[in-house]
Amino acid sequence: MGFICDRSLRVSKNARKKSEAGDPFVLALNYLSTVEEGTPWKGNDALERHMAAVERVALGQGLPPEAISVLLDFALSLRIRGTLCVRVLKILIPASVVPQDAVILGVSWLCVGKMTVSAQAMFLRWVLTVFDLIDAKDQLRAIYGFIFSFLTEQSLCPYVCHLLYLLTRKESVRPYRVRRLLELQKMGRQPFLMHLLALYKVFSPELVTLSFPSNMKGGFKNHNSTWKAALSTVQRRNNVQVTSDLHLTFGLKQRPVSKKRKLNSHLTVPAVRSVPLRVSSSKKALPLEQVWAFPQLLENLDRIELPAQMGSMLGSSLALHYMDCLRDNSAFLRLNFWLGHALHEEFLFRREAGSQNMEEATRFLNTLISTQRLLQEGFSGTEVFLFRFLRVWDGSLLRPQVLALLSDIPVVPSSRIDLLLFEPLMQLFFTSSLFFKCSVIECLNSMLLKWLTWHSVYALEDGLDISVSSQTPVNMTLSGLMDSVVELVQFVGRIATIGLQLEGYHTLLLSFTLDFYQTVCDMYLKYDLPLVLMPPTGVFYPALLATSPVCVDQLCQIMYRYRTNLVSAKRQERQTEKPFHISRKTYRQFNQYVVSIVSCLWNSRAFQPDTGVELGEDLLAGSKVPEPWSSFSLVRHPAFLSYAVDFHLKCWPERKELELNSIKGGRRWEWYAEFLFCQGFQGVKEFVQSSFSRRSSAEDAEPTSSS
Amino acid sequence: MDDSVKQVLRQIIRRIPSNKLRNTLSKWEHISKKQFQSLEFTQAKSLLCDNLLSLCEENELSMKHVTELEMIYRIEHPAQGSWNVCQLIDPEEEALTVDSLHFKESFKAHLKCLINHVSVKMKKHEDDALWIRIAWGDNFTQPNHLKPTYVVHNLQTPYVFVSGLTMKHRPLLHQALVQSGHYGAVKDVHLSGRCLTALRDLLMRQYKQVFPVKHPKLLEEKTPLPRTPCIEIEDTKHAENRMQMAAEAFGEGILPKLETAVYKLETRFKENEMGREEPFRGVVKFASSNLLESLKYCVSSGMASAPVTPLLSSITQKGRNYFVITDKGPGISNTPGPKI
Amino acid sequence: MSLKPFNKLPELNTANVLLVENEALFQEKLADAIVLLENNVNVKVRLARSLPLPLENAENRPRIDLVAFIVHLNSEQSLLSAEASLKHLDSGYFLGKVCFLVTGARCGTLPYERLTSLKKMAATLNSPLLMAEDKTAEGVNAAAQRVLAVLRVAAGLVPTATGLSLSSLTRCTVAKDPDWQNEDRSHLNQP
Repeated sequence: MGFICDRSLRVSKNARKKSEAGDPFVLALNYLSTVEEGTPWKGNDALERHMAAVERVALGQGLPPEAISVLLDFALSLRIRGTLCVRVLKILIPASVVPQDAVILGVSWLCVGKMTVSAQAMFLRWVLTVFDLIDAKDQLRAIYGFIFSFLTEQSLCPYVCHLLYLLTRKESVRPYRVRRLLELQKMGRQPFLMHLLALYKVFSPELVTLSFPSNMKGGFKNHNSTWKAALSTVQRRNNVQVTSDLHLTFGLKQRPVSKKRKLNSHLTVPAVRSVPLRVSSSKKALPLEQVWAFPQLLENLDRIELPAQMGSMLGSSLALHYMDCLRDNSAFLRLNFWLGHALHEEFLFRREAGSQNMEEATRFLNTLISTQRLLQEGFSGTEVFLFRFLRVWDGSLLRPQVLALLSDIPVVPSSRIDLLLFEPLMQLFFTSSLFFKCSVIECLNSMLLKWLTWHSVYALEDGLDISVSSQTPVNMTLSGLMDSVVELVQFVGRIATIGLQLEGYHTLLLSFTLDFYQTVCDMYLKYDLPLVLMPPTGVFYPALLATSPVCVDQLCQIMYRYRTNLVSAKRQERQTEKPFHISRKTYRQFNQYVVSIVSCLWNSRAFQPDTGVELGEDLLAGSKVPEPWSSFSLVRHPAFLSYAVDFHLKCWPERKELELNSIKGGRRWEWYAEFLFCQGFQGVKEFVQSSFSRRSSAEDAEPTSSS
Repeated sequence: MDDSVKQVLRQIIRRIPSNKLRNTLSKWEHISKKQFQSLEFTQAKSLLCDNLLSLCEENELSMKHVTELEMIYRIEHPAQGSWNVCQLIDPEEEALTVDSLHFKESFKAHLKCLINHVSVKMKKHEDDALWIRIAWGDNFTQPNHLKPTYVVHNLQTPYVFVSGLTMKHRPLLHQALVQSGHYGAVKDVHLSGRCLTALRDLLMRQYKQVFPVKHPKLLEEKTPLPRTPCIEIEDTKHAENRMQMAAEAFGEGILPKLETAVYKLETRFKENEMGREEPFRGVVKFASSNLLESLKYCVSSGMASAPVTPLLSSITQKGRNYFVITDKGPGISNTPGPKI
Repeated sequence: MSLKPFNKLPELNTANVLLVENEALFQEKLADAIVLLENNVNVKVRLARSLPLPLENAENRPRIDLVAFIVHLNSEQSLLSAEASLKHLDSGYFLGKVCFLVTGARCGTLPYERLTSLKKMAATLNSPLLMAEDKTAEGVNAAAQRVLAVLRVAAGLVPTATGLSLSSLTRCTVAKDPDWQNEDRSHLNQP
């Protein structure tokens, strides 16, 4: 900001020296600061000229802090009557910061009460617009009570509420203020009053007994319409000039601003700006923007002040680290409020979606995703937005971003998961392309992974609140979490079964589905969730009979992991004598699957009775396939056929005719298995070794025999 | 130069947008080329105005010259404010032969006869239209140049376009027009809009009209054929039909630009004649940046039912956009304006 | 005369879709995209503003496998016209051969009731409701892809699925549909 500060200094110096009266802007400021009360404005050419000079500077480069003080005083004192007050307010575009004194002075003029109500409202709207640019807020907080007293003015109430919302700290919450707010609130449940009260409740829950609807809509509106375009123009121009001096841009990538961008689009993450640029060591609070290294953050952890605009936190990883360890409810409330507003008003309910907007939205969502990844937690603001958005989504708009955000959502209770998540997803899933189906399964897989990780960390830390917003798994009991996980796994089983059917058992979709079950099969051992859920037959058999060896291998590996999980669950059950959640049905299904795999791949007994898939004799004969029971053995299986041929070639290089059956005999079979293991089929290897060696040695721990 | 001239000049400059200022001033003959080049058009308007004033003072310009600047701007940009149309009727024999010089003189003379303080300025535009700027005063005050009335009249046509006329001055203007043009009377055409040329085109039927024909072959060729044989449009016939009807009602190509159409309804309820003496009154107003185009689209796209109701099609057929709809039968309405 | 799904024989390897849209703003773009996207199957698109279809084309018209109604939520007329057109469809179509394509649902300034009544209609007819973005080329392509996915099933080109099963899976459910304007999140205890 060096440039601006220098400039403003120079300007103010010039203002003092009347002799150097070359600059019309300085002359104008001089005139406006000394103009006598009651000067006529109609036909006052001098005034007109000076105003023009001021307007030019204001809309061009923005006003230096001194000029803002002068102009604000001039406007609000109503020294010259007429429309001048509003006219000046309209062009109060700060170039860098707004001096706090100017705002204090403004509030004092408000107390005089000469202004019209509309001018008062406009002044407040201006303060709200430039709030983040005010260089300090300590004195403003000191006059909290004065500002509070304006609540009684009906037409000012929304703005005053918003200003108070931004200024409120714990010590500003007093019983008499709460009483006053409750009185006002009785006259009409205004959303802005509710929001302020909700904030009070965050600070002092004992004072506010009111219960709030858990998700309030329509809080504070944006009041910046008058200044938005001009302000962003000025700021962008100045930003470009001063980036070289900015040492605060830790983690925050300043993008070069393209000139073509629409001025009024603002789905951007604001820069971290809390308070003053000048630091006095006496001041206790240290604005976050001045912290630029991690050690500094650690040293000053107790006296850091959060920025006024919580949205700026998203862009800065240091700020997020700080917030993470702060665990300040009000900070999260504010962040979620900002986020919800930004997502809904600027993105979901945007009237037209131009390509530039989409670019901006993509960038914004990407920032949000990386933030959530950093915190390892989804914001509730995002969650609410997502559930709404899913219902109007076409399945293609910003797909990577939406799915990434979706995979971040915290555990959804099983009572509502169907309504919020599954139904809209189903409608999208079955009518969309194969690629979309794969990405949905992938997204659900990573969602499950995150839920499980939360659970495992949470369970290990034994009740310690590790989640940032203290909103998510904390409030959830183990059985609640398990119910949700069961719902999710069963849902994926359902949609994968039908999806595979619709897509003709496409290998890609099958492999994504198996990836999901790779997570599911290890829930007990890896994530300490006492739950074993088997894949449905609609997923199992297509995988077993797939043409891709990778799928079959993956299936074998999954079955091996299931076995390991079940075995240790069984052991656990015997040791602790606690009734375990795994039902006999699961064991039975597992055994059935194992029998299927073994009889299919190993024993060449496919389609025989008691092997899972059973086909009638006449049907098999009708297919005219010779030896149908062995057509899915490791030798004949379509996935492994090429390996068998390869093996055959290596064994009998001189043979002209292919006799695959000869592989089956004696040691050749074992060699062939060994050959397959060498080709990288680890899953098959693990499955085979665990299923067969154990059968001979440790019969007792075998779940197969336990049923 | 006295203050009133300065004030008028300031107002004129204020009304002209900055980007058109240069062009307008370059056509004004009362400042020299050199003076014109000395003006800086990049600076703020108020400063420019100051400079211009000093130039005017140098040249000792009067109100007459200053108002000319306004006329130049107004003629170039006629879409300022609303234009109303009236029609001169019952022409005398001389009406067809009246020339512009004679009309100018006699109009000025007649108007000055009727009212003491009035300032009239006329200018002939390229397309033969006569532009008249009238600043009205009354018996005791000087003409008010801040609120002038503009009249555009094409000699040899009965139509007169008027903008910025108050009720008070209407009879005066009408009388002057009738007498100097050798007509019998004036009647209101009930047509108004911002775009002067559109009003003229509508009245003179200078837009592409379409007449009902039995075999609309031409139109069929116009509908684009589907690009691939895989796409077929089911109701091509209907669409063509609708397009034809829309074109018949509103014309083709670029339609004259009208902004509004107003329908005033006055009717009595038949059933409770006993209870209610007052007629029921209602106003329906259609507004659009291009009304005829919108109405046509409504019909051609199937949003409005075809054939087009005569209420809408009479905008083009009768050349008016203000209608009063009354019950048949005498004695209900005194409002002038024919029924439809 | 109402449109019947089974009064004509199907053609080999062919799927026919009828796009009904009162405004004719979106259907052409969509039709182009559909035709361009599908290579394996001969897809024919027919465009209409409303039903019933003109009688004179009845002879040449092939069997229609899917009727897709395009509804623009920013116009009441669009919804009403679709509603009126539905009456001219044979009930056989509602066994998985109808779908609705909705544009503008993302825009918050629209009356919410319109979307609700459309959802109700789709729910009672057991038909899927597809959201579409008609303003961007990607949106049109995505919509075309989804219509094609439904069409392939409805025309019997996917051997393991029927239109009826697909629409029972994807049908819009409105009874339990949460009011997304006042989404209640009671499970999250706000601090």
